[in-house]
Amino acid sequence: MAAEPNLEVIEVRKTYPGTVALKGVSLSFAKGEVHALIGKNGAGKSTLVKIISGAVQPDSGSIQLRGSPIELKSPRDAGRNGIATVYQELSLIPDLSVAHNMLLADLPSRLRGFIIDWKRVYDRAAELLNSLDINLDVKQAVRKLGVASRQMVEIAKAMAASPSVLLLDEPTSALARQETETLFRVIRTLSEKGVSIIYISHRLQELRQIAQKVSVLRDGELIGTIRIDDASPNAVAEMMFGEACHGGIRNPSAVHENPHMEVHGLSRSGRFNDISFTLMKGEILGIAGLLGSGRTELLRAISGADPFDSGQIRIDGIQVDNISVRKMKQLGVGLLPENRQEEGLVLPLSTCDNAVLASMKRHSWHGVLSQQRKMSVVQDNIRDLQIAANDPAAPVSSLSGGNQQKVVIAKWLNTIPQVLLCDEPTRGIDILARQQIFQLLYQLSAKGISTIFVSSELEELLEVCHRILIMQAGRITAEVMPAETTPQQLFEMCIAAS
Amino acid sequence: MNLSGKQNHISAGIRRWLASSMMDLILLLICLALALKAPNFLTLDNLLNILRSISMLGLLAFGMTMVIIAREIDLSVGSGVAFACCLVARLMAEGVPPVISMALTVMILFGCGLFIGFMRVSFSVPSFITTLALFTGYKGLALMLTGGFPVAINVSWYYYLGSGYLLGIPVPAIIFTLAFAVIYFIMKYTTFGGAIYAIGGNDEAARLSGINVPFIRYMVFGIMGALTAVSGILLSSRIMSGTPTVAQQWELDAIAAVIIGGTSFSGGVGTVRGTLVGIIFIGVIVNGMTLLNVGIYFQYIVRGGLILAAVMVNRIQELRTR
Repeated sequence: MAAEPNLEVIEVRKTYPGTVALKGVSLSFAKGEVHALIGKNGAGKSTLVKIISGAVQPDSGSIQLRGSPIELKSPRDAGRNGIATVYQELSLIPDLSVAHNMLLADLPSRLRGFIIDWKRVYDRAAELLNSLDINLDVKQAVRKLGVASRQMVEIAKAMAASPSVLLLDEPTSALARQETETLFRVIRTLSEKGVSIIYISHRLQELRQIAQKVSVLRDGELIGTIRIDDASPNAVAEMMFGEACHGGIRNPSAVHENPHMEVHGLSRSGRFNDISFTLMKGEILGIAGLLGSGRTELLRAISGADPFDSGQIRIDGIQVDNISVRKMKQLGVGLLPENRQEEGLVLPLSTCDNAVLASMKRHSWHGVLSQQRKMSVVQDNIRDLQIAANDPAAPVSSLSGGNQQKVVIAKWLNTIPQVLLCDEPTRGIDILARQQIFQLLYQLSAKGISTIFVSSELEELLEVCHRILIMQAGRITAEVMPAETTPQQLFEMCIAAS
Repeated sequence: MNLSGKQNHISAGIRRWLASSMMDLILLLICLALALKAPNFLTLDNLLNILRSISMLGLLAFGMTMVIIAREIDLSVGSGVAFACCLVARLMAEGVPPVISMALTVMILFGCGLFIGFMRVSFSVPSFITTLALFTGYKGLALMLTGGFPVAINVSWYYYLGSGYLLGIPVPAIIFTLAFAVIYFIMKYTTFGGAIYAIGGNDEAARLSGINVPFIRYMVFGIMGALTAVSGILLSSRIMSGTPTVAQQWELDAIAAVIIGGTSFSGGVGTVRGTLVGIIFIGVIVNGMTLLNVGIYFQYIVRGGLILAAVMVNRIQELRTR
């Protein structure tokens, strides 16, 4: 395998308002090399990927392709220079055929692009799939394919422009084990053809099978690049987290002796399996796990948002039947969903309306909402949660991310909850708002309100939670106490082979 | 800091007021122009006449406001009116007492509304498609009920509903006003109204907030159906017959009034008050053009242009306040 650098990133720096995302990172990617990029959330990985794929422009620094500098002002520029990206969110059009999707950007045509030459479309697509050793019917609609096959089509689509650099962002998060094998086979084929592959993933076990080098980013800096053989979980975790400081301000005495919610043998096929745990009154219980470990699905099932196949949930010792969001709300269980804009808020409505969204019944008299009561409740929310909303009657979409999240929290606090299920509650919000949300959880805990806290930020879990469950591939594999655990250890447990 | 925040608040308030009142101001200007240009425009008789002429369409527009805010559509209401008109006339012709005929008509169309909700909730059939089908079905039903010819109504007091006066005000105008007040109250002050906005704005967030999304969808279409029935009954009284060819394209006029009133087609945004302005707008323009002897063909073109212009005004306001 040739070691000449194909793509080089030199002293790339990027600042966003308030934060420095990349503090002058230099990396080089050799021809035919599979180079893994890892780092915890906010380490600067995704910014680097965006810069290489042309989605974001660096403040300073340069990018060189085979020794000559290139300028990437847009993803199109990147494409023209032979840099292709396969995103986590699949970008295929479900009702079009495999071939149509693959060649969408440049369909073979006749009469100067006037008529699509379907025969050539299918032939070229088939040829392309063949060269990657992917076995799929090119005429089949993408809708009928599984996630893994779609991922293959996605990669084949990226390869249609015969790029020399391929970026893969968490490509296996939605795949099962055998599917991952197929993906790796395709990646190896590409690597043999001399394509540089930049591979972003947290799954160290997988990286061992596929990558040759691992580069670790932390706080916008390159900590180092090591050969995969030297990348023990321990070494990688230490590079990712550094000299970790931990130990929070949570109050262990807030946890009562009596169980608040008992989950027993909860299963949903393909999502999570035989999940049992007990949440004590006033406890903040963390769930740590990688993307795709089933943590979000579990939380949604407990909240009644999604169904589950078998298992029981007891609240205060009483079994809950016919679980639905409304039933769970009555029992005092509320979900702060992972994606607040799509699932937590009604964006065109005002801050005020959103804050009472789940508690309209409580604030009304025979279905008539008391405007006065609504306003006074929302004023209290704004004061207690320090929501920066100049005008509570303006659309909630005008607030910043942190304040929007507080509105989602207010929405559930107004229902007088007993158990809060928080899925990534601090994603994309600033440090101050994050601390305020933690403080709030402590206060609730002191009042006997329990929380299940899911986060991919391990330090955050260690800071906030009384106890942490580790979830892997749909199962709970371990339980740890934060006081006795370092982020490195927690990370190792999340990625350890089950 | 605090002061500038307060000023921001105030200027945001003014901007919002302007945005929400732009149409009112334009309507006022048009009325002024007509008062100066068109003889007889500003007479009590003419104004009451406008009110009567828009009242039946207005009922549809109010219901349609709820439907569109919930991010649905109902294309069946025009032929629904014709169906209701024929149904009530036929029932009376068969000797069913008028009051019972009316009640039955309202209940049947309410039920048809629930059916649209059922298709939406249980089979995820877009309301556009169900109501498109229903539009044709209603038309057929109306023709079947009447055999294609008007069925006369022989109950003399029935005339009063569509053409009578109460305290000098046309009865349909009173019903129109009542319907406005009730729906205005529902949309602004009830949990039901709040839920409609929430579902239209983001049905997943509404579901995860424990709102009974299916029930709300059923009821929105049910209420729309009931209002369609009332509109059809008033119309049957106005013409004292059940005629299958009435109310053509009313569904489109109702949608136009809602859009002129600033309700967003993408759901979650809009007011019944805006629709009131929209429906008056349409009534005034049609009346004014008739008074000014504008030819009927040309009137259609003006109305078409009006819808586009109104949407432009609303969009510009919306973009500016963002």
